[in-house]
Amino acid sequence: MLRHTVIQNVPIAHAGGVRTPAAVFNEIFTVFLGLGTLVGIVVCAYTVYNAYAYRDTGEESKADADRPELGELPTGGGGGKKLFLSFGISAIIVLSLIVWTYSTLLYIETGPDSQQVQENALEINVEGYQFGWQFEYPNGQTTSGTLRVPQNEMVMLNVTSRDVFHNFGSPELRFKTDAIPGQSTKTWFVGQQAGTYEAKCYELCGTGHSYMNATVEVMPRDDYQQWYNGSESE
Amino acid sequence: MSDLPPKSSIRRWFLTTNHKDIGILYLVTALFFLVFGGLLAMLFRVELLTPAADFLGESGYNQAVSTHGLLMVFWFISPFAFGFANYIVPLQIGADDLAFPRLNALSYWLYLFSGILFGISFFQGVTFPGGWTMYAPLNTPAYMPGEALGATSVVLAMIMFVAAVTLGSVNFLTTMYRMRAEGLRMRDIPMFSLSINLTVWMMLFAFAALLAALIILSSDHIIGTNYFTYQIDGDTFATNVNNPGSSMLWAHLFWFFGHPEVYIVFFPALGVMAECFQTFTGRRLVGRKWFIISMVLVALQSFIVWMHHMFLTGINLEIKTLFMATTIGISLPFDLMVFSLIYTMIKGRVRYMTPFLFSLGALLLFILGGITGVFLGAVVLDYQFRGTYWVVAHFHYVMVAGATALFGGLYYWYPKMTGKMYNEFLGKVHFAVYFIGFNLLYFPMFIAWETPRRVFNYPVELTVWHNLSTVGAIILGGSFLIMFYNLFVSYFRGAEVGDQPWEFATSAEWAVASPPPLENFDGVPSYASGTLEFLSPSDVAKRQSGHSGAAADGGTAETSPATDGAGAEAGALATTETALATGAGTAEPTGHEHASHASFWPFMISLGGFLLFLGLSGIRTGSMLYTSLALVGGILGFGSLVGMAQEPFFAPETAIAERWPFADVEKMKLGMWTFLASDIVLFGAFIGSYAFIRFAYGWEAWHHDLIPEAHVTFPGLVNTYLLLTSSFAVVLAMVAAEKESRAGVMASLGATFALGVGFLINKGIEWQHLFHIHTEAFPEGWAITTNLASSTFYLTTGLHAAHVIIGLIIAGYMFFRSWNGAYLGDEKPIEYFGLYWHLVDIVWLFLFPLFYIL
Repeated sequence: MLRHTVIQNVPIAHAGGVRTPAAVFNEIFTVFLGLGTLVGIVVCAYTVYNAYAYRDTGEESKADADRPELGELPTGGGGGKKLFLSFGISAIIVLSLIVWTYSTLLYIETGPDSQQVQENALEINVEGYQFGWQFEYPNGQTTSGTLRVPQNEMVMLNVTSRDVFHNFGSPELRFKTDAIPGQSTKTWFVGQQAGTYEAKCYELCGTGHSYMNATVEVMPRDDYQQWYNGSESE
Repeated sequence: MSDLPPKSSIRRWFLTTNHKDIGILYLVTALFFLVFGGLLAMLFRVELLTPAADFLGESGYNQAVSTHGLLMVFWFISPFAFGFANYIVPLQIGADDLAFPRLNALSYWLYLFSGILFGISFFQGVTFPGGWTMYAPLNTPAYMPGEALGATSVVLAMIMFVAAVTLGSVNFLTTMYRMRAEGLRMRDIPMFSLSINLTVWMMLFAFAALLAALIILSSDHIIGTNYFTYQIDGDTFATNVNNPGSSMLWAHLFWFFGHPEVYIVFFPALGVMAECFQTFTGRRLVGRKWFIISMVLVALQSFIVWMHHMFLTGINLEIKTLFMATTIGISLPFDLMVFSLIYTMIKGRVRYMTPFLFSLGALLLFILGGITGVFLGAVVLDYQFRGTYWVVAHFHYVMVAGATALFGGLYYWYPKMTGKMYNEFLGKVHFAVYFIGFNLLYFPMFIAWETPRRVFNYPVELTVWHNLSTVGAIILGGSFLIMFYNLFVSYFRGAEVGDQPWEFATSAEWAVASPPPLENFDGVPSYASGTLEFLSPSDVAKRQSGHSGAAADGGTAETSPATDGAGAEAGALATTETALATGAGTAEPTGHEHASHASFWPFMISLGGFLLFLGLSGIRTGSMLYTSLALVGGILGFGSLVGMAQEPFFAPETAIAERWPFADVEKMKLGMWTFLASDIVLFGAFIGSYAFIRFAYGWEAWHHDLIPEAHVTFPGLVNTYLLLTSSFAVVLAMVAAEKESRAGVMASLGATFALGVGFLINKGIEWQHLFHIHTEAFPEGWAITTNLASSTFYLTTGLHAAHVIIGLIIAGYMFFRSWNGAYLGDEKPIEYFGLYWHLVDIVWLFLFPLFYIL
């Protein structure tokens, strides 16, 4: 309780400025999509070009002297250098992309650099069940179906399940983690804009799987505090 | 042995053991399951026209998506590839047939009956609704509507399918290492055969892990063990039986199989693409050596990437990093293969025949599948793609690209198989419609990727994309009507083709008639001169005198592994041995007897196995119907096994063949070794599961909470001595056989048998005692279902005991044969049995400390 009242008065501790998982995802996805589209178009176009350029026109060509014959022991065609050059280029593209994203993986895994943000993070226990979500706040109160969090604060979710394998994720806030019976996993996010967001189950969990949604209510800090204080006495 | 009736006779197709007939049976059956799985996909694509469950209903939708996945992955795509493998591989490597023709027929019938059992599951109330990945604990009856008999049938059908796959793997490996034409080194075998070789290696190990998972799951369903149990009992958890590692155990077992499975599915397609690219461009594969090395690397590495399917399960950063690295690593060899195919076209004479169009199309689709897969390799992106249509679209672009190449293979080899040419125009139309349908079906899924997998109520704004997908599905599905029409009509009206309808094709299947004669080649194929020749008997005789010993191992009669019942896999081994025991005694030198091509027993064994499994699926209800089905099936299966073991069946080995690296390992022994390798993985997975569960529960608390005082070391110790001594007795039997001492063989085999029986009696007494203890902690005894520890103890040592029982059946059989003077001077059958028996012994040396001491 005390912790959260303190935050309100110390602006530096809030997480309004941190890179959210959503921002991280959008940046990497955009780069991958751009490069992927480019590489895809180039390689596919080159493939189709070759298939067209070397079509059988019925004319004799120089290479015809060395066509494969029935019953020969297989050998490779030439062109090894070119093969390794293209392989090398593709390997460099892939490896550099992955190395580049690795630092962001570390960021997502460990959370924002600011110690204060981390220490002030709001920890909420999430429990999945057939077919809904229950949220337990630090003051012990629980809600079902709606997760309320304060704006611009790091929220740490400890996610588990009480029956089968579920997965708790939000397409807009870009947090997602498996909800596994018998163990818990962690994920975090920051809601920088107040509003109502969706959370869904991303692992088939039975007949109600498709309906197993929750809402995430990102509330202005004062509103949240009011709700939170009020809820405790309930 | 019966005679093989002509192809026009329906009896032929039940009797045949010929690889080409079986290849056709596989292809036709796989296409049936394509239609089955495809219609299920149509059903849920129609459901997805609107974002609500207004067509199939909630449960119906889940069943449709789950069974669509299972049917396509297991019953369609791999068996389709193995239809070609059956038909083409022996032709390409210069063999008359597979090493164990009856085993091959048995593989097919087990496959067919497993599919029928799967079909029946739809009529047992509800079939399996938990997704093709079958995540625990949703895969247990506690979480299924009704009695869940349909789900049990699906699990049992998969066990039967795995039995077929394991027999097939052993068979193909033995064939490819023992029956290649002279001068054909492993690296020289055509690309399609090479891809099949690597595929079966992966199958041998990956499917053993799946088998462990499935045996455990079926035991949870039928016997009531608690490996995957996690359920609320009323308001509280039944803590003794809840496995806190349930979900993760399944995920590890499943994906350890599941990732190699991706390459198991895709490799044969790569092989077809390589063949078609070479033939239709008239160019040799660029960088062939590197292409092969890449495939070998992928096959090896496929076993260390599985945790990338589990990035969000809370595994630690170090392991995530490691698996991210192996995942990216495994994608690189594919880059090389793709470029190799592209460059093969350069300077070619590319002819756009239907097989090439499908191969080229497959390459383009695979490039897109590959690029979108790199996205998933970036873990941060993977987190968000997890459980969405991105994954669905990606793996369909990869797997169905594989299927695309295989359809190309169907057109490519159709003239070889039928002797008729398909209609080229209709083939091209099929390709055009197929390619448009494919992209219209799967590409919108990338755009609508935010849709969670396996839901019917997707976001409304994505409706247009889902509708496009549905239209694409109808076009893609409809394109097959063109194919079926074309292939059917061409069979009767197509133009006759010669040996080699495709210019620039090089491999040996094009050097024989279309369709090839029953025993494939007129002479003995040989590449010794650098090109394919067919040697006359006199040439062969000349060569043989040159290669002393090359033919020494020719002509052992075929052995007949088979399976039935719950110990499906172990059963296969058992009969290998049994038949071996008979077979080796009647071995004939090559050429002195005609090869056999017909046996009714594979069909009968599979029918028995099918009835048994169908019975087992419902036996927990106590219904008379199911119980009698199981009984009848068990008796029929076992009787047919004995029948097959008794049947004289002659499968000659080629007089001269390239056998590196197993020139000194006889056919039977090689088969046995490869089989035992998969058995080791099976036991490894069982032991691993035990350690995993115990660790998840708490290693020390396990012993304290879950195991009664009465579970003491002594019975296990006695059994260790019994087994060790019995292994020693097998060695003595071998020595006695070598010395041609009938009394010695009988005494040693008798001792082995008696010691094995002693082992079982001792175990029986121990189990009886534990079942009926009455203590404060275990008022109702320590039975199989009592808790986690009892589940793992009884099931793991029970699997071992099943192996002992099978060994005893063989030992008993051999004892009676030795009575009649068998094995004297020919100790090989005893040696093969010994290999199996020693393995069973060694496994116990691991089980004893794990389940009695630690």
